[in-house]
Amino acid sequence: MEYTISTIAPIVLLPFFAFVINAFIVKRFTSLAVFISCASIIGSFFYAARVFFDFLNVFSADYYIHKTFTWFDLSYGSFPFKLDMGIYIDNMTATMLFMVTGVASLIHIFSTYYMHDDKRYGRFFVYLSLFTSAMLALVLSENLISVFIFWELMGFCSYSLIGFYYEKEGAGNASIKAFMTTRVGDVFFLLGILAIWSVVGSVSFVDIYQAIGMGKFNGLYALGIPLATFAGFSIFMGTIGKSAQFPLQVWLPDAMWGPTPCSALIHAATMVAAGVYLSLRCYPLMEAGHLTMFIAYIGGITAFGAATIALVQTDIKAVLAYSTISQLGYMVLGVGVGSYNAAFMHLITHAVFKACLFLSAGSVIHSLHDHHTHAHVQEMPRMGGLRTKMPYTFLAMLLCTFAIAGIPFFSGFVSKDRILGDALLMALDNKAYWGPAVLGFGGALLTAFYMFRMMFLTFFGEPRDKELYDHTKKEGLSWNRNVPLLILSVFTLGVFFSGSLTGQGFIKVSSEKYEWFKTLIVNPTKTDFSGRQAQPLSFTANPSGETFSKSKYDSTYGLSEEKAHHIHHVHHIGALVSIIIAFSGVFISAMMYFWRSWNPGFWVSLFSRWYRALQNKYYFDDFYIKGLIQKGLLPLNRLLAFIDMGLYDRYAIDGWEKVNRALFTISKWFDNIIVDTVAVDGTGASVRFFNVILRTIQSGKIQFYFIMIILVLTGYIWTLKI
Amino acid sequence: MFENTLFFLSATLTIVGAAGVVFSKNLMHACVLLLGSLFGIAGLYATIGADFLAASQLVIYAGGVVILMLFAVMLTGGSADSSNKFGIEKIPGMGSTKTYVIAGFSVLVISFTILKLMANFMKSYKAGELPAFSSTVEEIGTLLVTDHVLAFEISSILLLGALVGAAVIARPRKG
Amino acid sequence: MISLSSYLFISFTLFIAGIAVMIARKNIIAMMLGIELILNSAALNFAAYSRFVNNNLEGHLMSLFIIVIAAAEAAVGLAIVIRFFQIKETIHIDDAAQLQS
Repeated sequence: MEYTISTIAPIVLLPFFAFVINAFIVKRFTSLAVFISCASIIGSFFYAARVFFDFLNVFSADYYIHKTFTWFDLSYGSFPFKLDMGIYIDNMTATMLFMVTGVASLIHIFSTYYMHDDKRYGRFFVYLSLFTSAMLALVLSENLISVFIFWELMGFCSYSLIGFYYEKEGAGNASIKAFMTTRVGDVFFLLGILAIWSVVGSVSFVDIYQAIGMGKFNGLYALGIPLATFAGFSIFMGTIGKSAQFPLQVWLPDAMWGPTPCSALIHAATMVAAGVYLSLRCYPLMEAGHLTMFIAYIGGITAFGAATIALVQTDIKAVLAYSTISQLGYMVLGVGVGSYNAAFMHLITHAVFKACLFLSAGSVIHSLHDHHTHAHVQEMPRMGGLRTKMPYTFLAMLLCTFAIAGIPFFSGFVSKDRILGDALLMALDNKAYWGPAVLGFGGALLTAFYMFRMMFLTFFGEPRDKELYDHTKKEGLSWNRNVPLLILSVFTLGVFFSGSLTGQGFIKVSSEKYEWFKTLIVNPTKTDFSGRQAQPLSFTANPSGETFSKSKYDSTYGLSEEKAHHIHHVHHIGALVSIIIAFSGVFISAMMYFWRSWNPGFWVSLFSRWYRALQNKYYFDDFYIKGLIQKGLLPLNRLLAFIDMGLYDRYAIDGWEKVNRALFTISKWFDNIIVDTVAVDGTGASVRFFNVILRTIQSGKIQFYFIMIILVLTGYIWTLKI
Repeated sequence: MFENTLFFLSATLTIVGAAGVVFSKNLMHACVLLLGSLFGIAGLYATIGADFLAASQLVIYAGGVVILMLFAVMLTGGSADSSNKFGIEKIPGMGSTKTYVIAGFSVLVISFTILKLMANFMKSYKAGELPAFSSTVEEIGTLLVTDHVLAFEISSILLLGALVGAAVIARPRKG
Repeated sequence: MISLSSYLFISFTLFIAGIAVMIARKNIIAMMLGIELILNSAALNFAAYSRFVNNNLEGHLMSLFIIVIAAAEAAVGLAIVIRFFQIKETIHIDDAAQLQS
């Protein structure tokens, strides 16, 4: 396939044009606007699918498309100041495009059901279109600057969608909170870009890889910190902000104020994954900066900590929100332990099953309508027994829960298990990695527990709110309600991602094309970027598939047989442990909430302090607001105010005033005597004097002129000597 | 004898008319007195044998200009607001004692000047034989279309311009 | 007895009278009467010199042109006076002291 502007640009531009058009017509032609949005994203999906299947067809880890054009070029002499814009598509990009457009299409379709009765039905789709185009553009970006641009654009869309119900105070506050919290990460991200620019002189990913390969970062320090570490850390801070990692995870639970489909699209499936995507793109930098252990710890802490908070949540969306944070923690953990393609696979699988979970939750919430308060019910204690009322939603949600809990044969098992296996491998190599590994395994147990707790509370048992239950209509099969869920839930099967049923390569589907994911998604540090060059945008003669060797990469490439055997072994152990952990989590959950043999209240009273801490989300919000902002920022502000008002104003400004007053007295005297009296009044007086003379001469009276003429003529004649 | 009588009559009429123009308190009277003075000048032209000039004087001045003056007087009427917009009292249109004193002084000055010039001239003037009278009409006509044709044509254009200009200027306008 | 100086004296008298009218009167039409007197004095001068000094008709022609010009001047001047009267409702010369109406 030849890559030209017409094959790639529509992926981004279709949703973007939908946004532009809809922004104008949405008020009057709401249903047309919705149709345009949905049609554009589905069209975009087909273009993305074309690209994806082309890459799958070539089946080479080296295959890439890199096209640029010069945005501006202000280079002067040897100082480079040139910025290219363009696209960089490798296997990761193609997969991301396929996933984002697919999930976004289904969410668009689901939104036509969920948002239909909302009074801002059309506007929601305008935001969705803008968001989708920004996300796709970010994925296609070939340099950090354009990533940053679209990153911020997505931040804005997230802000708008969280505050979509802006009549509610909570929604407004949540949107501000999300925006400001991610801003902390974004500032660091920008710093990181500048640091990279200062070293590489370019922000293109390929240039960065080349620079790291050539060792340009070696021996460069800023304030005693190696520059690679600084740059990597700064960019990872962007990930922390966007992907809601510890310690900036506080915004994501509040983001649940937004409508549920946007939670599915933005705060579960795609936007939060953009942070992880960035980390993966910058993985060589993280490695060069020796940041992997830091990243692993951040990921482990997030994965485990968020899972513990999810244990005690009663709001169905809150459980899913914390599980999102937890799963993002797994991805970051995967980045930290060097399990590059597993982390990316988890990103994709998580996007699919989490989108499905959120949509299912949306379906549940939308059907539970409280006739007393005229509001939708999100509280799990009021649900229960909904299995019979909504069988399709139940089926989709159950499959996804299997996936997220890590039950074998489901996608979540494949990806999460690989991350945990790699974490175990790292821990065996280096004792310092035991922390993240244990946290990861513990988080897996908790994940299985709280997800099944949610399932049991929602769909099993007796209905706890009988009136609500009776009012709920029985769910029928509907193209925009259950069908998107069922389509998504099909893709929670592990076979789509691993090429084998378990993901461990036990069963090889074909001799060559097994485990496409593991083959195609390759750590950039293993790739040789030295000869790579971007093509101009107009250049259409793309490298055909034949020029690339069939992939030689797999996880054991280049290792000795003994080492490879060791890795294989450790992964088997890891898989066994995760299977045991997952099933024990399910078992504990069933004992507590299905058979009700164990009383959860007993455990609550036993760990009452912990319970309170969990209910208060480990006091993070309190810490930020009461501690960091009130004790830290406000006193700092007061100190600055004191410096400004007390010192600067008092001494500099007031002192200057005294000097000015003295000068003023002198200049006033000068003004009065010299300027006013002598210059101004003197001028006036002289003007008045001459005025008197000239006024009498030039009076406008003709007869006076006549007399003057006579006198002058007479005088002239008398002077003649006649 | 007839010539002398005519000269004296005409000179008297001219000077009396001019004096009347100077001293009359009524504008209409002044116009009529000017008419008399112009008749006197026509008579004086006749005494020096300028028959065509005398006829022109009568026709153009007496029949044209003075009638025009009279019309103007009647059109503008006897406007007699005695003070201007600042409340300062105006000198009457036909002059006051003050203006006459100033005029007299000016006239005195200019008379001395003119008399000085004329005295110089009269010293060198010697009266010669005067030719007999003859009709000047034919000769003037010949001169106007031969030697002085340019001035003649220019004066015709001037008259046309004055005609059109006067009509344009005096046209009543709105606003 | 009737000589050049007689005519010059009459011409001088007319001229003096015209000057006096020009200065003493404040009415624009009255001032124009003075102008006519001055023009006539000049014309009479030309005619007299033509008779007594040059013995040709050049002076007559000059007088003729003066009459023509006087007629034109009277027409335009009186038109201006009438226009001025339409605007200012007066023909007092002191009211015409401004360039702007």
